[in-house]
Amino acid sequence: MSDVVEKTLSALPSLLSLDSQPGAGKLSSTSKLGNLIRGITELTSKHEEEKLIIKELASIKEQVASPNTTMRQMKEAMVRAIYCEMLGYQAPFSYIHAVKLAQQGSVLEKRVGYLAVSLFLNESDEFLLLLVNTVLKDLQSTSLMEVCMALTAVSQVFPRDMIPSVLPLVEEKLTHPKEIIRRKAVLALYKFYLIAPNQVQHIHSKFRKALCDKDPGVMTASLHIYLQLVKESPESYKDLTESFVTILRQVLAGKLPMDFNYHSVPAPWLQIQLLRILAHLGKEDQSTSEMMYDVLEESLRRAEMNHNITYAILYECVKSIYTVFPKAELLEKAAKCIGNFVQSPKINLKYLGLKALTYVVTQDANLALPHQMTIIECLDHSDIIIKRATLDLLFRITNAQNVAVIVEKMLAFLRLCTDEYCTVDLVGKVAELAEKYPFIKAKPGS
Amino acid sequence: MIKFFLMVNKQGQTRLSKYYEQVDIGKRPSLEADVVKGCLTRKKEQCSFVEYKDFKLVYRQYAALFIVVGISDTENELSIYELIHNFVEVLDKYFSRVSELDIMFNLDKVHVILDEMIQNGHIVETNKNRILAPLLALDKMAEAH
Repeated sequence: MSDVVEKTLSALPSLLSLDSQPGAGKLSSTSKLGNLIRGITELTSKHEEEKLIIKELASIKEQVASPNTTMRQMKEAMVRAIYCEMLGYQAPFSYIHAVKLAQQGSVLEKRVGYLAVSLFLNESDEFLLLLVNTVLKDLQSTSLMEVCMALTAVSQVFPRDMIPSVLPLVEEKLTHPKEIIRRKAVLALYKFYLIAPNQVQHIHSKFRKALCDKDPGVMTASLHIYLQLVKESPESYKDLTESFVTILRQVLAGKLPMDFNYHSVPAPWLQIQLLRILAHLGKEDQSTSEMMYDVLEESLRRAEMNHNITYAILYECVKSIYTVFPKAELLEKAAKCIGNFVQSPKINLKYLGLKALTYVVTQDANLALPHQMTIIECLDHSDIIIKRATLDLLFRITNAQNVAVIVEKMLAFLRLCTDEYCTVDLVGKVAELAEKYPFIKAKPGS
Repeated sequence: MIKFFLMVNKQGQTRLSKYYEQVDIGKRPSLEADVVKGCLTRKKEQCSFVEYKDFKLVYRQYAALFIVVGISDTENELSIYELIHNFVEVLDKYFSRVSELDIMFNLDKVHVILDEMIQNGHIVETNKNRILAPLLALDKMAEAH
């Protein structure tokens, strides 16, 4: 596991010098940005921070308004403005210049301009409209970098009403020879789908093409759209089940290039995404579920390694198995997996085990039975998060026999609650139980 | 989905913040201070996931820096926990053992990296080479000038 190295402040001079390490910033010792950063590292109070930033804002304001400021200086001014906003101090006078920087700057400056716009502006900002022309121009650029930047910007913040003006250009990019462009185009369309689904209704066939793209990155990008679509109307996408199953099978078989691995696990986040999509498709549908039992089992079997990321996959797998049409042998294997989590000495796994158990007991309350002892231990755990997760679980397996005890535990926990969300949640649960079991008397003293 | 991505040091100073849901700029410092407080009170042997208001936080500590990600209820906590680590590994690769000062002096570049990994609150790229490719191309172009 890597450590973020703690460089002492004495390293500051070398970082500020002109000949610095590879990848590190090249800032001159007189640079305004360098001075700001040094100033920030020397802060000892909120009051000092306010003084420093207010002074900085005045300096930035002056610089951006000056006609003599070069694009290079503007880029640095934008980063300084980003710093100020990050600390909570607004710099609205810089917004228009961020747009200008994206428009007029050279490639590195342009990137910072786009970055600043994505951080400063939101959908409803008027200045955003000015960005549209820049995006249109960059989308047609011969420079791949500029096309990439424009597509990234579009995926982050774009005025909904202007979608029709860029849509044709973005659609065009779906068939670009370079995978990075195709991938970013798909993600831009995903953004459009999120903010204005009607605008992209006509291109669903193009999403299918992206799903079958020979590049795994493009295919993965299309899954974001498909997860949304499948969640909203699973019936319309049952015909794609075989495709998703095949993709997952290929990932598990190690068919992806090595650099898609994370600690020797093939594309774990992609596996998780596919498991979610399959869960939606197989829910309450026996024939569709039957198409995926094999790959679900394989997923479960393969993720046996001892690494957090395989546990994450297992958790998702278990959830999917319990969401799709039930198959006895699979449910048994999944239940065993949950058991391993709950019994684990690793606290993060225990937490996930409790969460998984909470999810599956709605289907079969008996699943909690073999873990009674562990659940009772968790109730008194020193970690308040584990305690709360256990209470959530208990809430779901309440019956006439145990309700009095469970309510008592909840009330005891309520006394420990420090924030209103926790309190409201628990009070709601207790009230629900009181309504459900009106004739059970609580034990005296509770 | 991912609601925000923060890098805050032990003193509560924000070194990077990215919001994927609209949060008023005036409200951010107090949210960030609150969030870091919640993580600082946790012990090493406790869970890395904390309930916060009506959503969750996943946090991970690297030297004096906390990386805290706010997530909705439906997100897979452990997958986000490892996403954080993947991000740090990418930074390590680019900066050759990254430090807090590297992040401060290259804030724009760290944002560019994060932009490649997370968009609209969803994980869009986890392949380290592909994450770094645009930034490396930019560096090359900048050197040529």
